[in-house]
Amino acid sequence: MKLTLPPRVSPAQFDAAIKACEGVVGKAWVMASDADRDAYSDIYAPGSEEEWPASAAVAPATVEEIQAVVRLANEHKTPLWPVSRGKNLGYGANAPRMPGSIVLDLGRMQKVHELNTELGYCVIEPGVSFFDLYEYIQREKAPLWMSVPGNAWGSVLGNALDHGMGYTPYGQHAKNLCGMEVVLPDGDLMRTGMGAMEGNHSWHLFPLSFGPDWTQMFTQSNMGVVTKAGLWLQPAPESTLVLTWDIPNEEDIGWVVDTITPLKYGGLIDQNVFIPSWLGKIVLKGQRKDFWDKEGAIPEWRVQELLKEHKLGYWQVQVRFYGDEAVNKAKAEVVKKAFKKHLDVAPHEEWWRQGDPVNQFDPTMGVPSAVALQMGDWVGGRGAHMGFSPVVPATSKHVMGQLKRSRKIIADHDVDFYASFTVGGRFATNINMLMYDRDKPEQVKNMRKLFDALIVDTAEAGYGEYRTHLGWMDPVNATYNFNNGAQRRLNEKVKDAIDPNGILSPGKQGVWPSAYRDMAGKREG
Amino acid sequence: MPPEAAKGGPPPLPPYQMRAELPSGDRQSAGRDGEDLFSNRCGACHLAGGMGTNLLTKQRMAAGEPPENGLLANRKDLTASYVKSVVRNGKMAMPRLTQVDVTNAELDSIAAYLGKAGE
Repeated sequence: MKLTLPPRVSPAQFDAAIKACEGVVGKAWVMASDADRDAYSDIYAPGSEEEWPASAAVAPATVEEIQAVVRLANEHKTPLWPVSRGKNLGYGANAPRMPGSIVLDLGRMQKVHELNTELGYCVIEPGVSFFDLYEYIQREKAPLWMSVPGNAWGSVLGNALDHGMGYTPYGQHAKNLCGMEVVLPDGDLMRTGMGAMEGNHSWHLFPLSFGPDWTQMFTQSNMGVVTKAGLWLQPAPESTLVLTWDIPNEEDIGWVVDTITPLKYGGLIDQNVFIPSWLGKIVLKGQRKDFWDKEGAIPEWRVQELLKEHKLGYWQVQVRFYGDEAVNKAKAEVVKKAFKKHLDVAPHEEWWRQGDPVNQFDPTMGVPSAVALQMGDWVGGRGAHMGFSPVVPATSKHVMGQLKRSRKIIADHDVDFYASFTVGGRFATNINMLMYDRDKPEQVKNMRKLFDALIVDTAEAGYGEYRTHLGWMDPVNATYNFNNGAQRRLNEKVKDAIDPNGILSPGKQGVWPSAYRDMAGKREG
Repeated sequence: MPPEAAKGGPPPLPPYQMRAELPSGDRQSAGRDGEDLFSNRCGACHLAGGMGTNLLTKQRMAAGEPPENGLLANRKDLTASYVKSVVRNGKMAMPRLTQVDVTNAELDSIAAYLGKAGE
């Protein structure tokens, strides 16, 4: 990819910044060739990868190197785009929001500073992947479990900081963060929570501080670079029991959610309950052309045939219980009884006990896997996906309303419908996977129009996305519109106060520093 | 035998595959162990049961080869230069890897290990 300079930076200024960074991290860890820029582009970009181009990447290995690079960025006015491991696939991967930003790749920072088995937490750096942490825990024989997202190739901290979700009792990953160390936009170093006190023993245990705590200010944020953080881990359970139901009809999602939600927020169900639609199972069985050989969306009659052929329900529900065997059994009876009121079919039951082999593909057991990315092969070619991810109240009224509206818009654009709901308590996240072939420009164009339409419709109905792709950060931010965008205006005020040069992640989540506010909303097409 | 295997589909699912630890030493220096580097740097997708292995198993079986050829470590037809090209340029569902994911020195060792058909 050709070089795109940061806004208002000359080639000579850029070269000076790059040379200065080489002096900090070493020449080998500053990557500024055309091939390097390709490697820091969005592999699933809906359109040209050159729409979100990085100018270079710098990979520090220590906090001191990060501080030095941040100070240089201020000096040379060359903005940085920090990524933990850059595997935020479907949301922009390791590419920056603002063209010409230098990616600050923290992938070399892979230390596990502490694994505490007595109180169940770890302290890790941003380059630690889910696979790294899982294997570290196994090698230490520590009685702790992680929570993992569907694609576990990425960073544990990066996923939590970007509000990622998993499917265990610790599935709301940002809530597991406790006590961070952060490099601020001027290069200063601070610690959140109890870490604000030198040598405090409760840094990674007490989730607040004395006075306002800034931990959440650094999630989905451009206010600082998180260099390490505490993360709570689940005590390894003595046993688990999973109940699996295939739920026959699309509209059944209403009673399923109404059954699960009170049990979840009432505390009987601990985990985040993931409810994928049938396409989530079929994508692992082959390619789209094996099941439907035409371009347009798979018609309803063919969907019904496929469900029969593959003995699938429209939805699948798995509820897993963790802990003492007798308690799991008792809890399962309550849930089975509640389901039986609506579905007179006994669930499939499967026990796991300490010492049994662990299914490597089951994210509800906290085992990392990248197998979910096989969905990239569904459409063939350079398959890609984007996730449309609104949050809704976890009741049938809201879930059915969202389902019907988004399903109609997706059908109007002639795209396959692949939705899931994850009940996290009083809310459910609704992930709509939109899969397309990047080499078919008409599919890409259609996908972008569809995404625009979904954001507008969903916001008008009173719901917002909790996460989105680089190209839609401004439109989604604009939907958070109370009192003329008061949240955005406050974020901008804080941003300008602590980052006057606007050098950290301009445009992240639609928050633009005044130095680059003229770049807001700029997107091709 | 699971139903998938009975139909001539992919083999049964293996348990979690622990990757080798990252070999010690400077990541920019030549000469670290290619097999361990492959396991550590590529193992999230290319050990048994991994996403890359699953897709390649389907692809190899469609080409009339045994399912074992879905594992890159079992391939006899890969060249070192092809391995490097795919890692840096990506292929189908596989994204390009950065020099932080795999340094050039690490890629040389990995390509030498996988490139059983030569340079």
